[in-house]
Amino acid sequence: MMTFSKTEPYLYLVPALSILFLFLLFPFFWNVYISLHQVSITSILKEWRFSGTDNFVQVLNDPNFHTSVKVSAIFVGSSVTFQFLIGLLISSLLNQNIRGKQLLIAVVMIPWITSGLIAAFSFKFIFDNSFGIINYFFNSIGLHSIPWLSDPNTVIWSIVIANVWYGTPFTILFLTAGLLSVNPSIYESAKIDGASKLKSFFYLTLPLIKPFILLDVVLITIWSINFFEIPLIMTGGNPLFASTPASLYMYRQAFEFGLLSKGSAAGILLLMINIMVAIIYIVALKKRG
Amino acid sequence: MHITAIFKKAGAPTRLMKLTASLLAVMVSLVFVSLYFENNFEIVFGQQITLTAIVAEPKERWDILFDKALEKLKANHPDMDIKIDYRVLPYDATRTQILTSMSGKTPIDLISVDQIWLGEFAEGGFLTDLTNKTKDWGRANEWYPTNWEGGKYENKTYGIWSWTDVRAIWYWKDLLKEAGVDPQNLTSWKGYIESAKTLNNALKDMGIQGVHLVGAAHSPDMWYPYLWMLGGEILKQKEGHPEKGTYWFPAFNSTEGVKALDFLKQQVDAGISPQPNHFWGQEFADKKFAVMLEGSWLLGTFPKEQWGTLDQNIGMLPVFPTPSSDVNSTTMMGGWLLSIPQTSPNKDLAWELLTIMVDPQILTPMLQQEGYLPTQKPIGEGAYAAQLNSTIPYYSELVSMIPNAHSRPNIPEYPQIAENIKQAIDEVYYKIKEPKQALDDAAKKSAEVLGW
Repeated sequence: MMTFSKTEPYLYLVPALSILFLFLLFPFFWNVYISLHQVSITSILKEWRFSGTDNFVQVLNDPNFHTSVKVSAIFVGSSVTFQFLIGLLISSLLNQNIRGKQLLIAVVMIPWITSGLIAAFSFKFIFDNSFGIINYFFNSIGLHSIPWLSDPNTVIWSIVIANVWYGTPFTILFLTAGLLSVNPSIYESAKIDGASKLKSFFYLTLPLIKPFILLDVVLITIWSINFFEIPLIMTGGNPLFASTPASLYMYRQAFEFGLLSKGSAAGILLLMINIMVAIIYIVALKKRG
Repeated sequence: MHITAIFKKAGAPTRLMKLTASLLAVMVSLVFVSLYFENNFEIVFGQQITLTAIVAEPKERWDILFDKALEKLKANHPDMDIKIDYRVLPYDATRTQILTSMSGKTPIDLISVDQIWLGEFAEGGFLTDLTNKTKDWGRANEWYPTNWEGGKYENKTYGIWSWTDVRAIWYWKDLLKEAGVDPQNLTSWKGYIESAKTLNNALKDMGIQGVHLVGAAHSPDMWYPYLWMLGGEILKQKEGHPEKGTYWFPAFNSTEGVKALDFLKQQVDAGISPQPNHFWGQEFADKKFAVMLEGSWLLGTFPKEQWGTLDQNIGMLPVFPTPSSDVNSTTMMGGWLLSIPQTSPNKDLAWELLTIMVDPQILTPMLQQEGYLPTQKPIGEGAYAAQLNSTIPYYSELVSMIPNAHSRPNIPEYPQIAENIKQAIDEVYYKIKEPKQALDDAAKKSAEVLGW
């Protein structure tokens, strides 16, 4: 009877652990297994040849992977910066006592509840060189069209804009929650002590919502690293891989070219980048502690 | 413990007990009855078979085909209760869905296969070898030879090429007239570029571009005809492959290839912008372009009721522009094959359905409705031709292109090779490399992909 009591709590963990194993650990180890073998869509039903680290070497030596890592760096860096800054600005405004606040919150949340695919298709048409509404507007005021999706130097910014539009509402939601957690009496005390609104914001608000900021930045960074629907739909990674982030590179290798092992190897490298971001987050949190 | 005892212990009323017990009894009976029918369905109702299929959009063509074919299949098998469960997917998703389903050994009876996917699917062991069935069928010689060969991989038949399409020059008659451009000028490389400049100057204030240049993922498809007309090839057989002895080797970086790519460069230099999005003719139908090199499916972007008078507004030249008048024009031929996956649990019935679907009597009304071109002589040349000619605008001109049309390689490595060629075209479009350098680099990468 005593033994049963000791093991009983672990039994309750079985369903959760099973799900964790089935949907997280098993696919991960399966992916590692595939990345160490030579598996393509044409050989999937045949014998899989062990290839060691060949697939990783192939990916790391592929100039297109190098380009995709650079694209990822620009895409993630710009997306996170703009999502965070715009999100912080809007959430601070929404934290003020303004009329129609609830309606405004509902409006700014629209992109977040929109499917990523719908957002990508919408921006594909908005930025289209010939039919796009932006170029139509430019032409109507006498400006030249901008090749939003066909110029290798411009295209990255088109997908960044789309991703910022799509992802910013999360930051707004998250930071608004953070701002609501701050006790208003602190601001009253600061006001009595002669602090301006700007000073209160930088010396009180930001330090107090730091845990929210940190978590938000980590989450939007990881999501941006892994997100590929927008570039896939808007440009297919073109032209010249200029809009192919590492996540899309991985997808294309596995599902477009059928090179499952190479795709798996790219996926593991991508996972390592994600883990590095998570480690930075943990270190930052510990320092704060 | 008995259920009534539980209720009594809980102090539940007798009526509720009876009701619950009755419901339970009914549910248990239903389960047993269902199990009985599941195991003895054929004895009770006759044999029920559901054929499953994965096919590519647009849906209308499959609705027409499956509807008519099922009717005939049922008539052939009155003892069976046959159903067809078909999923229509967007083009890009179709290949992925078929591959994942077949590698997961999902039972599927019929699939639509783009001609360029055949080698990949066959090499993976996903498709049923139809060679013996086609011999018994005896209709192989009714197909145009290129179309019949397109269904083969390593001398075995894996698919039946059911309909095709060709690319041609389409133009708005009023726009060319307004710009003072003679349509015949579009048939030569020099004239095509001059016409584009004239059209751009004349129509830019109306927001209309002169000619369309594909910059999307399939841009190689619109480059191949220039390569072929000059006598070049995408790939050729070569001896000395480290594993396969004789195998395919990149040939697209030949002198002909460089000259063909230089024509695309000249277009960009003349101010023609490559279009990263391709709306398959809708942009032409919307009058955003005066001239467009597009597939015969472009007709489908116009309402059927306009087809009778379409030639009054839209002109069609059954050629790709040529460098000189002594060069014979070519075009690219695409289209869809029907195949039976290895995982099909009803291969014989699926084959019967397939043969019914490509029967001229069943297929012709669909071609007529959707504007596709035939791959078999009885439809292209026989009695059915008159029927199609009377409804599909420019039908006879489009069909006349088929004998000179080429198809792309259907080997498993083709998607990666096409990607390398696409990259070369982009490098020339964006002035990063000269045509020769771009094609040589693409050929080097493609040779590696092919295992050289």
